[in-house]
Amino acid sequence: MSSGHQEVTGNVNSFNSFNVLTHNNIVNFVTETDAEGRQILQWLSPLEPQQRHQGVRTGRLDGVGHWVLETNEFRKWSDTEDGCNEPVLFGHGNPGVGKNASQVARLFV
Amino acid sequence: MIDSLCDRAREKDIAVIGFYCDFLAQQEQSTINILGAILKQLICRGGIPEHIREAFRKAKKEFGGRGLRLPDLVEITKKAIVSLPRVFFCIDALDESTPQHRRDLLESLREIVLVSANTRIFLTGRPHIEDEIMKHFGEVVRIPLSPTQDDIKGYLEMRLNRDTDPSAMDDKLRPDIMRIIPEKISEV
Repeated sequence: MSSGHQEVTGNVNSFNSFNVLTHNNIVNFVTETDAEGRQILQWLSPLEPQQRHQGVRTGRLDGVGHWVLETNEFRKWSDTEDGCNEPVLFGHGNPGVGKNASQVARLFV
Repeated sequence: MIDSLCDRAREKDIAVIGFYCDFLAQQEQSTINILGAILKQLICRGGIPEHIREAFRKAKKEFGGRGLRLPDLVEITKKAIVSLPRVFFCIDALDESTPQHRRDLLESLREIVLVSANTRIFLTGRPHIEDEIMKHFGEVVRIPLSPTQDDIKGYLEMRLNRDTDPSAMDDKLRPDIMRIIPEKISEV
């Protein structure tokens, strides 16, 4: 398994350490995990979406798309205590934008 | 949006999980890999639960280490999620995954939210996948995502300020860019 780890390191989904938010602090996940823990994470998935999020973050402008958070749709959906029965919020991009629709949508996420 | 949700998560006990689908990574972004990546983020909060360690040890014994199967992964994720008070999944550009991966992912997510009423899923993608989402979830809350003129201008300013070749810019080109691009995008 450790050799598998080595192989994966270096490709797109490399298993690097990443910071994870908990409710009150930031922990470095990998250093806190034992050898078996690292194998388990690799077993669960070789993908590392945190890295991608960091990449998107650096190419993004603060404040862009924040209007979404103020919409009734978003508020209704995100407030479970208010009794919204639909668990899914679907943010759809303009079809005319073509492939850029998802890139536009990425500004918001 | 993940960051905004994370800001709120700092105040309350909320888990925010993000995943970006990428057309160029369609093969490696299989349903099982996506869901596994989601689960990894979920369990990062409190260490790896014992039931997952057990499942791993069991799989390791079989055939010298069997890979995960989707139904098992869904069950593990359900177990991991029920103890969490609130979870937000944000999956972006769902239309960039293959139709089969998308179908299996939506079905898996539906099964997961059934056991956790406080889980919320934010999906983005082109409008044509709405029918597929509806097929699994019945009703959805819809929100059109298109940048405002201010969003576009702010983004252009940032990119122009970061231009590695500022000598190519002049007093006429910059205002032209700032005027024409937001206009053109609004026409699309």
